Amino acid sequence: MGLTDLTSMAKPNLESREKILRKLGGRELVNCFQCIKCTSGCTALKLLELKPHEIIKLVNTGFVDELASSDIIWTCVTCLKCLQRCPQRASPYHVIMALRNLAVEREAKVPEGYLKAVSRILEIGLAEGVQDVVTRKMEILNRESLKLPKITYPKESFQAAFMKAMEER
Amino acid sequence: MKVAVFWGCRILTSQYAYEMSVRETFPRFKVELADLSEANCCGDPVKSMNDFAANYLAARVVALANNTGLSDLLVPCNRCHFVISEAKSFMAKNEKTSKKIVEILKEEGLDYNPSIKIWHTIDFLHDFVGLKHVKKAVQKPLKGLKLATHVGCQIVRYSELGRVDDAENPRKLDELVRAVGAESVDYAEKLDCCGANLMLSHVDSALSLAGTKLSIVHGYGVDGLVVSCPDCGLMFDYKQKDAGATVGAKLGFPVVYYTQLLGLALGVEQEKLGLHLNQSPVDKLLSKVSA
Amino acid sequence: MPKIGIYVCHCGLNIAGVVDVKRVVEYAKGLPDVAVARNYTYMCSEPGQRMIQDDIKVHNLERVVIATCSPRMHEETFRRAVAEAGLNPYLLEIVNLREHVSWAHSDEPERATEKAIDLVRMGVARAMLLEPLEKTRVSVERNVLVVGGGIAGMQASLDLADAGLRVYLVEKAQSIGGRMAQLDKTFPTLDCSACILTPKMVDVAKHPNITLLTNSEVTAVKGFVGNYEVSILKKPRYVDEKACVGCELCTKVCPVKVPDEFNEGLSQTRAISIYSPYAVPKVATISPKHCLRLRFNKDVCGKCVEACEAKAIKFDQQPETIQIKVGGVVLAVGSEVFDASRMAELGYGRYKNVVSNIEFERIVNASGPTGGKILCPSNKQVPKNVVFVQCVGSRDKRFHEYCCRVGCMATLKQAILTREHLGKDVNVYVCFNDMRAFGKGYDEFYRRARDLDINFVAGLPSDIRCDAKGGLHFDVYDKGTNKLLELRPDLIVLANGLVPNSDLGKIGELFHVSRSADGFLLEAHPKLRPLESAVGGIFLAGACQGPKDIPDAVAQASGAAAKVVDLLAGGEIELEPLKAVVDKDMCSGCRICESICPFIAIEMKTEKADGEEKLRAEVVEAMCQGCGLCVAACPTSAIKMRHYTDEQVLAQVQAACAGGEAKGGGC
Repeated sequence: MGLTDLTSMAKPNLESREKILRKLGGRELVNCFQCIKCTSGCTALKLLELKPHEIIKLVNTGFVDELASSDIIWTCVTCLKCLQRCPQRASPYHVIMALRNLAVEREAKVPEGYLKAVSRILEIGLAEGVQDVVTRKMEILNRESLKLPKITYPKESFQAAFMKAMEER
Repeated sequence: MKVAVFWGCRILTSQYAYEMSVRETFPRFKVELADLSEANCCGDPVKSMNDFAANYLAARVVALANNTGLSDLLVPCNRCHFVISEAKSFMAKNEKTSKKIVEILKEEGLDYNPSIKIWHTIDFLHDFVGLKHVKKAVQKPLKGLKLATHVGCQIVRYSELGRVDDAENPRKLDELVRAVGAESVDYAEKLDCCGANLMLSHVDSALSLAGTKLSIVHGYGVDGLVVSCPDCGLMFDYKQKDAGATVGAKLGFPVVYYTQLLGLALGVEQEKLGLHLNQSPVDKLLSKVSA
Repeated sequence: MPKIGIYVCHCGLNIAGVVDVKRVVEYAKGLPDVAVARNYTYMCSEPGQRMIQDDIKVHNLERVVIATCSPRMHEETFRRAVAEAGLNPYLLEIVNLREHVSWAHSDEPERATEKAIDLVRMGVARAMLLEPLEKTRVSVERNVLVVGGGIAGMQASLDLADAGLRVYLVEKAQSIGGRMAQLDKTFPTLDCSACILTPKMVDVAKHPNITLLTNSEVTAVKGFVGNYEVSILKKPRYVDEKACVGCELCTKVCPVKVPDEFNEGLSQTRAISIYSPYAVPKVATISPKHCLRLRFNKDVCGKCVEACEAKAIKFDQQPETIQIKVGGVVLAVGSEVFDASRMAELGYGRYKNVVSNIEFERIVNASGPTGGKILCPSNKQVPKNVVFVQCVGSRDKRFHEYCCRVGCMATLKQAILTREHLGKDVNVYVCFNDMRAFGKGYDEFYRRARDLDINFVAGLPSDIRCDAKGGLHFDVYDKGTNKLLELRPDLIVLANGLVPNSDLGKIGELFHVSRSADGFLLEAHPKLRPLESAVGGIFLAGACQGPKDIPDAVAQASGAAAKVVDLLAGGEIELEPLKAVVDKDMCSGCRICESICPFIAIEMKTEKADGEEKLRAEVVEAMCQGCGLCVAACPTSAIKMRHYTDEQVLAQVQAACAGGEAKGGGC
């Protein structure tokens, strides 16, 4: 492949690019013509420097591996503005999700919050555990004291099914 | 009219006020709610880990709804609504993969049913029940209240998926606020995100996004902010103090769920609507509403 | 049996690269009655054609089969060549070995060659049954209809009129001039648009060969190339055109305010008014939608009648229908501007200081709503910061996929005019995706803009916002500096794209012209025939065929005019003989063919047969397009298609099933 990034000496990995395209199920990302609308409106740009147009360009050129092991792909707020306004129907949101999936596959860095959520789903079926709440008058209440119906959690069979689903690539 | 209801995780485990206010108000429109039993997480955090597993989780929710024999599923959380809508679209377009998901569901004796219609509280009240009936049921119009609405991101975007309201000019929640007698103002930052999703990885940034929007809306001099998603409720109401601290603003700004507002207008007692659970100073707003 | 010559073309490597042409020729030699079979690199070339002509003379060939590219490419050429050698041009059969064989099956050369052999055998079977045919001649009207009085329509009209043809120029609006009359200056020369346009408008009005019909629309079209019958509806102005002197006293006294269309609704005119300062004809028109007397059908108001010294107001004026006969038509109905309120995130229609490019054009024009002063619509203040946003509604799969072609140049012009009007006291920014300055003098114009310190931001904004005090602002990421910039302009101009005219559906139905995928009128061939529609005698000019700027519109208009002159100059035209023909003895008069013909080309005639009066179908050859629907529908097989008879087609089917080199090959 006749292309090299002289800063990192990395070469494009067309296989990884193909993998992302397969995950996306469509080729719209190659239609991106860098109009920058997505980045101009990106919720995560100011605070976390996420540039959706750059993510798309890097993936399209083949620099997928560096993205899959990066922190930047975990900064997306999933507000969906980028794909709502993209004139070429490319979706930086879906590309970022595909890169996250790839990161998980390769056991690269994944924020703890996500790992916690998945382990709790395995444990009890929900991503959150039941909490007590405090009223403005400092009273501590919960579902029972608020007379809300009891939560029925999924049975054991769910755990096996969910694990099976998580193994699918 | 009987509808199945899927609450997701956050409503069931901490945002009780939303659940309470839905349970109090919907029956007054002759809508009976049938909870799904043994419901699982819709798959929202799993989308970032394994898209297949996330679609499986969402399909499982639809399959549980199928067990109730009902044709409509109410999903009050914006994020669950999006995940399930995307899963439905995925299942319809990808025969091979959807077969695998259907098989895994069958192992638990569950059947996926693509014809189940997914609703959010906003379009259910606005389109199914209808503004006319909402207006008719109002006993204590909330006159004098000037409010701003925050409809959120994942129920108005992205349009191609078929969402609850228009992506660039959502009107339904504003019309519902007007139907209960209050005023709803338009503002430039209306479509900005609360940042909730970043609580899983970048807490300060999440709070900063929420704090920024809150201080801007507070600056408009409205009596409160109306939300309809437990994640937005978490950021703007529950975490208001922290959000304010992150952006260096002292807020103290009422934030309520729409269904709480609706309940007030229907004459329901404040405690039954969970108004004592809001962490933002809703008393300011409640005192404006005539006793 | 007629003697046949078979020619297999290599088409360079297009055919020979896949098909074993020598094998095909060898096979052809073995077919019955084949006097000669040859192969050559380019049959359509001069030596190739000469080869065929020589063989016709030497071997007395009576049929010629050429296995080459699609007949749509060179059938005409080969027919002429064959005719020159003395053989009737319709005794020629083209077999398509390129589009149907080598291009479609490039990865299977063996099977491709077998298919080529089959197709040649089929072509020979048909050729045996071909009959000589003659073209017919039909006289043509030396008049032309031009629909649309913008720059393209006017240019075409003047060229046609100068060539001696009578031109009927029909314009929907009250005045000719179209879009160009609304422009201030034109790129890249910054010529004053009205100054170069109005002389042409006057020429059109004065030309003895041009009949100008404004406030009029085409309502019906019948006929065929060279002989169209057109109905034109002249809508009432309620003002006598011959009496009105254009003094505008009526406008001054009319009490009903109406948004001024010429100024894009940025100012108001009255229910009776003259269309624009440069209107041709300079005659007032009353809007029946707004005029009190016409709306309520009551004897009210009448202030204009009192004021008019020329006594030109005529409330009882009726619509007039004019019937004309023309030989050709030039469609020049122009395009419209994208309605940016469809992109709600940009705030057009919501915020007063977000304007469209055409609105800005009126603002900056001396005859516009602000007398040529660049002022913010909300507070009539001079802006200190002006931003142009490109590609609104264009290059966008949500709205229009195509590039509007003129957006970049129009913005460069408007940016330069802003600098010229307001000097150093204004900051001008252009937010763009690509800057397209492709024409003659265009990139130099882009440089001129940069020289004037106009700032180009390489990026488009996601949305445009307005704060509580009415201040517009938006964020845009600039690729050049890699910075997220916040812009706070006083005035934002959106470069809305050109979109297909909403009348094109009606025009398409009237004239049977199709539209391309982008919604504009479809040309006969995008590269080689951009001025004609697929319908004989109907030509296209200007933005109705695709967004374009003035030089391209003028060039296309003159070209279309030349093509009309070609068509009509001789006074008559030739028609292809490939038409349907009714065998009266077989016709039962059931009228199925008449009802099914999409070109209204079948008439029922009463004829005497067996002492009785019977109804028989007859094909109007000039209108028949040879589509074959009637042939298929006729229950008694009374209609046959010349050059495509049932026998000829069935012979090909038989030959297809007869098998190739391998004996006993079935279908």
